[in-house]
This record gives sequence, structure tokens and C-alpha cells, in this order.
Amino acid sequence: MTVANASGRDAVAALRLAGIHKRFGELWAVRGADLEVRTGAIHAVVGENGAGKSTLLKIAAGILAPDEGEVWTFGERPARYDARRAQAAGVAMVQQHFALFDGLTALENIILGAEPTRAGGRLDLATAAQRAARVFEQLGASVPLHAKVGTLGVGDKQRLEIARVLFRDARVIILDEPTAILTPGEVGTLYLTLRRLASEGRAVVVVTHKLDEVDAHADVVTVMRRGETRGTRPVARGADVARLAGELIGGEPLPGLRAEAGPLGETRLAVRSLVSGRALQGVTLEVRAGEIVGIAGVLGNGQSELIRVLGGVLSADAGEVVAGRIEVVHEDRQTAGLVLDSTVEENVVLGELRQFTHGGLVDDTEVRAAAVARIDRFAIRPADPRLPARALSGGNQQKIVLARALAREPDVLVVAHPTRGVDLVAAHAIHEQILAAAARGTAVLLIGADLTELRCLCRRILVMVRGRIVAAFPPSTDDDTLGAAMLGGKVTAAS
Amino acid sequence: MPQAITVTSALAVAWTAFALLVWLYGDSPLLVMKLMFEGTWGTAYGAGQVLFKATPLLCTGIAVDLALRAGLFNIGCEGQLAVASLAVAVVGARTGALPSLLALPLLLLVAAVAGGAWALVPALLRARFGAHEVIATIMMNRIADAVIGALMGAGLAVAASVRTQDIARSAHMPRLDVLVPAFRGSAASLALVLAVLLAFGSQWALRRTRVGREITLVGQNAVACAAAHIPVPRRLALALVLSGACAGLASTGTVLGYKGYYEIGLGAGAGFGGLAVALLGRSSALGLVLAALFFGTLQQGGLAINAHVPREVVDVLQGVVIIAVSIGDPRVRAMLTGLTGAEATP
Repeated sequence: MTVANASGRDAVAALRLAGIHKRFGELWAVRGADLEVRTGAIHAVVGENGAGKSTLLKIAAGILAPDEGEVWTFGERPARYDARRAQAAGVAMVQQHFALFDGLTALENIILGAEPTRAGGRLDLATAAQRAARVFEQLGASVPLHAKVGTLGVGDKQRLEIARVLFRDARVIILDEPTAILTPGEVGTLYLTLRRLASEGRAVVVVTHKLDEVDAHADVVTVMRRGETRGTRPVARGADVARLAGELIGGEPLPGLRAEAGPLGETRLAVRSLVSGRALQGVTLEVRAGEIVGIAGVLGNGQSELIRVLGGVLSADAGEVVAGRIEVVHEDRQTAGLVLDSTVEENVVLGELRQFTHGGLVDDTEVRAAAVARIDRFAIRPADPRLPARALSGGNQQKIVLARALAREPDVLVVAHPTRGVDLVAAHAIHEQILAAAARGTAVLLIGADLTELRCLCRRILVMVRGRIVAAFPPSTDDDTLGAAMLGGKVTAAS
Repeated sequence: MPQAITVTSALAVAWTAFALLVWLYGDSPLLVMKLMFEGTWGTAYGAGQVLFKATPLLCTGIAVDLALRAGLFNIGCEGQLAVASLAVAVVGARTGALPSLLALPLLLLVAAVAGGAWALVPALLRARFGAHEVIATIMMNRIADAVIGALMGAGLAVAASVRTQDIARSAHMPRLDVLVPAFRGSAASLALVLAVLLAFGSQWALRRTRVGREITLVGQNAVACAAAHIPVPRRLALALVLSGACAGLASTGTVLGYKGYYEIGLGAGAGFGGLAVALLGRSSALGLVLAALFFGTLQQGGLAINAHVPREVVDVLQGVVIIAVSIGDPRVRAMLTGLTGAEATP
């Protein structure tokens, strides 16, 4: 083990992950990720939802075991790395959702599982309180130790979680989306605390998708896309965050796809000043027949809410949506798209049984015929209508959902993240289907995909920031420009 | 066949526990099991009594199964059955002018409607507000007790008793000894035949009708169904109401086939027994029938061995079966996580 040198940096990485692979069933969560974390710095790991950040860091904390790859802590590689070994090595993770007991006091929560005891196993609360006080001194913050946790605010709870890991002498502290539920003021306080911990010679890793925080507080940043790490570099305050945004969602060009520049029809989808809760602050957009319009934006700027309002799952507080029949392909195909334990056949006609029902009874021959036709048309593989949907790959599952939506010949198709976690061949097939639908006169709204994907498919790319459409670009626009717009103009001055 | 393994191992564990308990009481497990068999399937009367006890269990078992298909736990069969029993007894006492061929179908309808109506409240609470049906149906059980007590006190009961008037002659469900004379003396009635038909009919309807299929799909993934425009709240509500109707039909075996009147407590326990039947029956018509027969056998068998060991030993056996089967049932685990709000790990 090494000791921090004068500059606060270790010669040996506090944490080193090499060649990490991890899959859940058909889905690659992490495929080929490397990460080196050093003490003395705040290290941000950024990426879109589903890019594999949380999975990678859970592997670092020993919560998940990698399928492949090595985990090193302070120059050592334990034979079997698990949560216990991680704790022994001083690696601790503060999860996105608090794991505190509301009915216990702050002190009881801190010491839970690591209680100091006197002879005979009696709880030594005096020592506990002393040590906890010392921890809070390190944190430069305090929480009322004898208050029930249920009475504390979110910021206090989070400090408590951090105090918990410090109480156990954590030297590498990983925080998963720590600011997701904090107010801006609390975010500032949190980073002050983290800075203090880093300057004391600890390593701090923050998993986030908020680029402005990375810009303002992190020293080093690692970008993850589609389960891969795309390099680590120091953060130059305010300078390259626009580029970062592009990197976050950009990627290699897709082979041989280009939206045709055919004539456009009349407006099929008109959204006017749509307001819903705090997420949508007056969205206005139009999509015409035959047009594919993309929405780019950093995650959490109202995209999911827009999808849910268009899908009729969420109601709007104000504004209007004028459209014919809308079909929505939700971003999470496994929960919102498929009945996984049911057959491909049932799934590909889900919600349409009425047309195959005569006198109250379902005509299975008709269902089979329709299912087989759709399986053929969308090249769903394996082409067996009786297989459970669970048995298919992510790409073929997505084809089922898309097939169902398109078979209903909607006026408007809303597609969210159609190729996330999907292999290239299936992604290509899905893109072709979306282009073909537009060519038939469907108005398509494509939300939150790769910038490259948006560029290949869309006539126009709209940028959504904080619940509003703030800009529209032609597909030829470069990553930096789009990235800057996605940050809401806050960094346009810097770029 | 993982299901068959679950059921078989559950039964094996339960019988072992039973044998152990009997042995601790100082009796021979083999002897007690022999007595149990003789008291049930050993004689025509015993077999008839098993069929009689299995009848309401089968109805409530179908009821619980139907709700489970939609992903709902109907813990309210007790109350639905009690309310339906009272309704059937009250109407049955007034059908003297009708021939059996009209009176019985009418009373079946009354039983189903009353049971369904009692399930309507939790169904609406679930569909409209997302209130957990386990809590709501348990609550309705207690309300049923209170309401029935009040109604009985307010004049539905025969003076100075806790029972209603006798039902009309035409309202009696014919006993099975009409068909099989050997069953003479046992209380098994045609209600059993109806219950078996209901078991097969309900499974057929879940498979063949649009609404039935959509109920099953909603039970597997309500979010995806909602996204595919299936009216999820309506399907959930319908499943719970139909479940209540099936539970109500259990009164045909108790009120119409056996007592000829309703008294407070008649049929109590059948509602909870239905949970056991549904969990053991594994959503198959034949499975439900066999499970009902199994628990009916245990109930009757308990009486047969009462001279040797306490009858409650059989309750222990039942309990162990239920626990053992539940452990292997993902639907039970889903309900428990739903109740505690615990999140499944990814």
C-alpha cells in the first residue's frame, strides 16, 4: 500500500478496473471498461442512462461480480473481490437510494453493523458518539446525532450516508447520482464536503449525468457510452464540457442510412405550450407527415415526461397536443413494452385482441396468421410465434414492440431510445423500419437517441433543455454545437 | 416440471412434519394415517363427506386463482362468501312459489351477484386509487362480519337465534345420493358438480375469451398492457369482482346443499382455505379440483383421528403445505414485495 505524496496524488491508483465485462441475460451492461481512480481528486463518471456507469461502479464496490476483468485496490488484486473485500480495502459506495432506518437515530444508523462494544458485547455508545463526532469533523458538517433519521432532511440523510462509510474508514468513496434529489444549495454543500474528503487524501468517485456539475466540481472525468469507457481526462473548468456532451451521446457513423428528402405532408403532430409538473415548461413542436424529427438533450430535461404525455400515461397541466392516432415505443421495452413471460405471438398483437375476437372468443388461427405476418415483415428472430418474449435478444424484443406500433398504422410514431442495448444488425433493421414508416407518411418523433443516429434519420433535430425546446438544427450540425445547445446556452460563452 | 416438483416436495415436507408431530404425541404415525384414510376415502360416507367439504373450498380456490391471474390477492373470500350466504338464505326463504328449476338458477345468480358486489368496493378502490387489494379485502371481511351481525339483529335472524329462516323446499340443492345412493347420509350435493364445472369453465374462459386473456396479460405486466391500450384498471376490477362472484357461489354447498339456512359462522374458514387451494392448484382446473379434494380430505380426516391425536394436528399439516407451496410461488413473493414496498434487486 502506498502513502499519498505531497501533491495529494498516489503513485499507485487507489482503484483500478481493467477490461470489465458484465451482462444481465441478453443485455450487455458493461462491455470493455477500464477505470483508474486516484486519491486526492474528485473523479466524475458520466454517461447516458443505461451507459453502464452504475453497474461498473457497483463492480468496483464489490456489490456485483464482473463476468470478466480485474479489480485492483491500492496496487493489490484480491483473488475473490466481493463486498467484504471491498470494505477491507477501503472502498465504499453510497447508493442512489438511501439505505437508512428512519426509526433509529442518526448515531445508531452510523454505527449499524460496526458497533463499538465493551466487554460482554455491550454497546459502547459513548465511544460511538466520540468517533462519530470525529467523522463529522472530517466532513466539516454536522447532523444532530440523537435525532431520529425520519425527521432529517434529504441533505442531512446524505451526509449521514457519507458519515457511515467514513466511520468504516473508507478511502475510496463512490457516490451514485448523489445530487439527483438535492436542491441547488445542497449540491454546493455536498461538493464542498467531497472536496474536503479528497484533499484529505481520499479518492472520491461521483457517478452522474449532470455535466454542469462535472464542469464546476470534478477534477477528472471518464465518459461511458454503451457499456464502454471512452477515455479519462482532466476537466478544464468550463472549457470542454460542450465537447463532453457530444461525446456522451455521439458515436461512430452508422452504415448506409440516410433520410430521403421526399416531400413533406401536412402537420400530423402539433404540441403547443405543453406544461406538466416541473418537468415540462411549455414544449412546442410540430411534426409533418413523412418527417422524422429528433429530440436531443441531456437526460432528465423532460424527455421522459414528454413521451409519457404523448402516450397518454401522464396528463398535462396546460397546453395541447393535436394529433391523430399516436403510437409510442417507450424507452424501457422490458417493462413498458413486453409481457416477457408471454409468447411472441401474444406480444406482437398485444392490445389488439378485439379484432381477432368473434362472439367473445379469440380466434387463435387469426392471431397466429397476423403474428406470423408481422414476424416476417419485421424479421423477428427466431421466427417462432410460440417462444416466450423473454427468450429473444434485446434487438428482437425491440422489433416486436416496433412491429406492434407500426402495424396499427399510426399517424404519429413516438420512439424513445429505439436501439439502446441493441446490437448493430438489429439497430440497422430498426432504423430501416423507422425510415420506411416515414416514407409511408407517418410523422415520427425520435427521442433521446445517439446524436449520430439522430443525424442519420432526422430532418430536424430539436434540443430540449429544462422542459423546453430551445433550438432546432439541421442534421448536418456538428457535435460541439449540439452539445452546447444541450447545456442550455450556459456554456455557449465558454465554447 | 418445476411446478410438479414444488407441489410434491411441499407435500412431502408437510407429511413428514405431520408424522413427527403424531410421533411426539406418542402415537404411531402409520396408524393415524391409516385411520385418516379409512375415515375419508375408506367408506362411501367418508368419501361423500370429503366431497362435501371440498365443495366450498373449490369455489373459493377458483376465486383466489382468478384474482391471482390478474396479479391480485383476494383475501376477501371470507367476507364475500358470508355476504353471499346471507343473501342466498334470505332470498331462498322466499322462493317457495318457484319450482327448483327456476329457484336454483336464480339463487346461483344471487350468490354470484352478492359475492361480486362485496368485492366491488376493493375492486374500485384498486382501479381508481391503486389501493392495495389485500388491505381492502381484509377490511371488507371485518365489515362483512359487522354488517351481517347488524342485519341479523335487525330482523333477518329467527328471534333469539343467530340463524335465518329455513329456505324453501325448492331452493335446496339436491344431494349427491340422488345420483350415487352409496353417498347416503353425507352432505355432498350437486353443488360439487357445479363447482367442478366452474373450475373448468373459468380456466377455459381465461384462455379463450378476449377479456380472460387480457386479464392474464395484465397480471403478467400491467405497465406494458397499459402502453398497448388495454384498459388495465377495468380488467383488474373485473377480475376481482368475478373472483368475489366465485367465492359467493361457495354458499351453494353450505346454505343450499347442507344447512338450508344461514347461521353466523357458516362456511367460515373456506375463504382462507381457498388461498391454499389456489396456491396448490397452480392455475389448472384439474389442479384446483385435486387441491380442493386434498384439503377436503384433511378436514374430514381430522375428525376421524380426533380420538387419537388432537384434530389440530391436521391444521398444522395444512399450514405446512401452504407455507411450503408459497415459498416456491413467485406470485406470493411479488405480493409480499408489493406490500412492504421493497424493491427487487436488479
